[in-house]
Amino acid sequence: MRIESKICLPFYKIAYAVFFTGVLCLIRGVTYTQEIGPALESPMALLAAVFCADTYIQEILSGRYQIQRLYPLKNRLASMAKRLMIQEAFLLFLSAAGYGMYLLVQRPVLLNGEERGENSSVAIFLIYLGAVFVSLLFWGLLSHVLSCLFRNMWAGIGSCLLLWTVTNSTVGDKWLGCWNLFSYSFRDLEDSGDLSWLWGKLLCVAASILLAYMLPKIVKKRG
Amino acid sequence: MSIIIKNLTVTFKNKVTAIDHGNLEIPRGVFGLLGENGAGKTTLMRVLTTLITPDEGEITLDGIPYREENYPRIQSKIGYLPQEIDLYPGLTLQECMEYMGTLSGLTKKVSRERTDYYLEKTGLAGQRKKKMRQLSGGMKRRAGLVQALLNEPEFLIVDEPTTGLDPEERIRIRNLLVDFSENRTVLFSTHVVEDLAASCSRLAVMQKGRFLYAGSMGELLEKVQGHVWLCKVADEKRARELEQQYHVSSKQLGEGGVQLKIISEEQPQISCIPCEGTLEDAYIYITGKKKS
Repeated sequence: MRIESKICLPFYKIAYAVFFTGVLCLIRGVTYTQEIGPALESPMALLAAVFCADTYIQEILSGRYQIQRLYPLKNRLASMAKRLMIQEAFLLFLSAAGYGMYLLVQRPVLLNGEERGENSSVAIFLIYLGAVFVSLLFWGLLSHVLSCLFRNMWAGIGSCLLLWTVTNSTVGDKWLGCWNLFSYSFRDLEDSGDLSWLWGKLLCVAASILLAYMLPKIVKKRG
Repeated sequence: MSIIIKNLTVTFKNKVTAIDHGNLEIPRGVFGLLGENGAGKTTLMRVLTTLITPDEGEITLDGIPYREENYPRIQSKIGYLPQEIDLYPGLTLQECMEYMGTLSGLTKKVSRERTDYYLEKTGLAGQRKKKMRQLSGGMKRRAGLVQALLNEPEFLIVDEPTTGLDPEERIRIRNLLVDFSENRTVLFSTHVVEDLAASCSRLAVMQKGRFLYAGSMGELLEKVQGHVWLCKVADEKRARELEQQYHVSSKQLGEGGVQLKIISEEQPQISCIPCEGTLEDAYIYITGKKKS
């Protein structure tokens, strides 16, 4: 794990991810605590797509894939899985830190705070963490799988960006509704009882399972 | 361990035929592969490492046919040093080798032991704590060879392993390959004819995707005997005229004029004496003969 971390989390990647999250917390304003989640979810998803695109592509760019091709497929897939886990864990930590930064820097207030009670802030944070975890998992995996499929990092990032733009728009919200990949961000903040956005997250989980199923076949075929 | 190639053809998407109906048998020991840039050497190596699937032909490795269902078995027997490779720049040499060893299927303990052994053998033991990015070009090349040796493959494929190495390093690597080839097969591709002369007993010469020669070093040298001539001309102008007419494998400026080593089917039409041909002369002779 230590060596995989050194490979997939070089300093420059940590630096740009931290910078991106820091700038986001400064420039995107929120009034209510409930708005922090929607403010962070889609940018963090985009960051995951960029961050995870080189998980295996770095082996192709460096020519190491020629050697890796001779290694047992299960070892190569295990190495990819470890790298993805490390990157996703880092991004989840960064998402949590970003949430904290929002609270510190922008000092938002709780929407309908009196009705919700004292513990609602923690619940809002935990729900955010769950939603952002699913988003990071899906977008990171999608970018990685597409990059492996096209054997090109930019094709992977570009395809993700296209899907991100469509789903993270009012048009996407209108078309897909509660099945939108960003259903958590588009949910009605005032209606905390409406959990229909979970369908969108369920779709992300289902798509992630499908991507994880496809990955070994793509790696075997495309090297 | 022997590799038999029959009627092998590889054509790229751009219609370039990299290997054209090639037949070759690679026996045990160090087998050299010689040829100009673009001759098809690297393509052949990529086919043998299962990176490229040929359009036509059959290959067997120790009797195992190159078919997709056999690839895992074949791949486990091969070690490969590609021509261009950038090993993990952020890892130390020791970490990088141990990591690649475990990825290839070795246990951590075995990977560590073999890393220590081969780093010692290649003279890199003193550099084990250095990051890969801090190593010189020659050291990186040696590190690349160590990773290829880690799983002690039965068939080792090395694509220009001596590129960028100083003479001492080259000798060390050549000797290591010869030691390693005992009961194994080493396919050694290079532009440096001296390296093959010093380490191989058999070799193949490739040109434009075809095998011009495959056999023993001695037989290749015999082919050129009687076709190498030494002559001396008074000035550079005359030397240039001869260069236009014949294959000149060496040219030396001396006090009495310019001494030329000419490779020609017939005795050149100038005053010259026959001399013994080297492997380089033999290579020029057979590749030049085909050109003409």
